[in-house]
Amino acid sequence: MEVRIEDLVKRFDDVIAVNKVNATFESGKLIALLGPSGCGKSTMLNMLSGIMPVTEGKIYFDDRDVTMLSPDKREVGLVFQNYALYPHMSVLENICFPLKIKRVPKAERIEKAKEYARMVHIDDYLDRLPKELSGGQQQRVAIARALVKQPKLLLLDEPLSNLDAKLRVEMREEIRRIQRESGVTTVFVTHDQEEATSISDYIMLMKLGVKQQFAKTRNLYNDPANLFVADFIGNPTINQLHGIYEKGNFRPDAYENAIPIGRYQIEDGSRVVFASRPESVIVEKKNGKTVMEVEETYVSGKDTLCVLKAGDGRLRAYVDNDSAPQEKDLVSVSFRDRGVFVFNEESGERYYE
Amino acid sequence: MNKKTKRYNGGRDPDEKFEASMIGKIALFLGPFMLGIVIFTIYPFINAFLMSFKENFSILRNTFSGWGLANYRKVLNDPIFLSGLKTTIKYVVIVVPISLIISIVIAVLLNNTRRFKAILQTAYFMPLVTSTAAISLVFRFIFANEGGLINKIITTLGQTQINFLGTNRWSEFVLYIFGIWNILPFTIILLLAGLQNIDPQYYTAAKVDGAKTLDIFTNITVPLLSPTIALVAIVNSISAFKVFDYVFQLYNKPGPGYNLYTIIYYIYEKFGGTKPQYGYAAAASIVLFFIIAVFTLLQRVLQKKTNY
Ligand SMILES: Nc1ncnc2c1ncn2[C@@H]1O[C@H](COP(=O)(O)OP(=O)(O)OP(=O)(O)O)[C@@H](O)[C@H]1O
Ligand SMILES: [Mg+2]
Repeated sequence: MEVRIEDLVKRFDDVIAVNKVNATFESGKLIALLGPSGCGKSTMLNMLSGIMPVTEGKIYFDDRDVTMLSPDKREVGLVFQNYALYPHMSVLENICFPLKIKRVPKAERIEKAKEYARMVHIDDYLDRLPKELSGGQQQRVAIARALVKQPKLLLLDEPLSNLDAKLRVEMREEIRRIQRESGVTTVFVTHDQEEATSISDYIMLMKLGVKQQFAKTRNLYNDPANLFVADFIGNPTINQLHGIYEKGNFRPDAYENAIPIGRYQIEDGSRVVFASRPESVIVEKKNGKTVMEVEETYVSGKDTLCVLKAGDGRLRAYVDNDSAPQEKDLVSVSFRDRGVFVFNEESGERYYE
Repeated sequence: MNKKTKRYNGGRDPDEKFEASMIGKIALFLGPFMLGIVIFTIYPFINAFLMSFKENFSILRNTFSGWGLANYRKVLNDPIFLSGLKTTIKYVVIVVPISLIISIVIAVLLNNTRRFKAILQTAYFMPLVTSTAAISLVFRFIFANEGGLINKIITTLGQTQINFLGTNRWSEFVLYIFGIWNILPFTIILLLAGLQNIDPQYYTAAKVDGAKTLDIFTNITVPLLSPTIALVAIVNSISAFKVFDYVFQLYNKPGPGYNLYTIIYYIYEKFGGTKPQYGYAAAASIVLFFIIAVFTLLQRVLQKKTNY
């Protein structure tokens, strides 16, 4: 099912939690709602599920306007951050519950519940109570309970935040697999950019209730709409140098050399932020136009990173492990075309070539 | 000894001198209270327990013919005691479930409404802060023969008035209402406390799962409230088994035709009156004690079972 939101607004007394958001969630896709704490992700999800009334705007499921529909009529499955499994019901009863409410005959609903329990690999624990399960197992039950009624839309609110790092990686792959298998349109809330990029088809990045960018996951990284997006996505974070744009060159603050960056539609003398992905910075030992001093070289996992001084600013670059420059070395720096962006310093707006 | 091991000592200081002075202080503070308990609860209980096995016991001369079960044999074969037991059980079986059901409904409604909360709170709090003696006066006024509120209404409607307080059937009915009325506030307050402990997220989850108000009540609220319900049911049963004051306050005797003669009434009469029979009274007390003990155990079991 396709989900479309139009000018969605949610206001609490003096806070605008969601501000005029427009988006279309394609049918069968996994969409990550990403953003820092308090940006309105949960609020958005709660409006989609119908738990929370909207202040303004419309929500459409396919072509049906569901804005005023109560949650029990929306056919959505919701996985809460802390799972909210019914503590007095066994795993099987928990998964059966939505069907029991629908008055599905007992034998049929048990069969169906077992089918979904198998799908999330929880079928060995059917008789246990929630308190007798680990966090990861509880989460699977919560997903099975959300899926068993065959919802048109599956909503997950930071379902992995209670798990340890290793289990979190395992479970997000599980969620991906389950989502693919069931083919249900899924909205997944997280504040972890790595989590979002590793499982979603699309990402909607939000800040203070405002949509920053909604795009294919790859595009968010390769083609950020503004400085906030460029900064939020990517680990290590994108390099940022502040300075002035002048005739195809960028002059970082307190750095004598200009960096040639090509023609942008910017007035000469404007203050800009020159941002570059660490993999887009080319470091060579030969002499070149732009020379920088190496501050530090360190190994992070399989990669070697080199920190370069450019006036007040710092640049991080991936370098070849065997020929990595040493501290205090002077190196020549240039940039690839990909992964290099220029933004307005004040508004964060992106400039294009 | 280093600090770390001290901490693993469960927070207690290993310094024995300190501990000794603490014990002295504790004894000083608790002493009077403990003394009261020993004198007014433990000693009488042991005494009553022993008394129940003393045959032909005379309290004035403090003599008895020997130890045995004669008192129990007499009490358990006494038709007056057995009918008292029957009356009491009937009271428990009627008053406890009805008051519980009414309380659950009121507590859930109270928990769900923000409006009228102040008014409702006064309403259900009133019986708790008013003495039952005063309430019994009001009840007697409401159900009185001449000028009683209900009879006034009945006669205005052209029906013949009912002798609520003077006939066996109706006096029983009035007692049940009185019992239920008095038990409500305490029950509702405990249930409300239980309801506040239920995480509202379960209601939200159930709503998303498609549940309507009634589904939520039966599938979520009541089961999650069941530990409190069990507790209240048992506590109320225990107090209902000891029913006596309500009867006394309403009728000044065990009902108009001795029809509301409860176990405590039996014990009360055997201890006092013109021809006291302390041995029987003690034996009857111990029998009641065991009935209540069974309920207390039941409460323990239920509490464990409903501990999510
Ligand atoms: N019931 C409420 N009343 C008032 N303000 C609220 C309410 N719920 C949320 N807010 C506010 O709305 C904003 C968005 O909250 P929301 O819970 O949607 O954030 P979030 O993105 O889910 O954050 P987190 O990652 O911490 O869960 C916050 O500023 C929050 O304080
Ligand atoms: Mg949230």
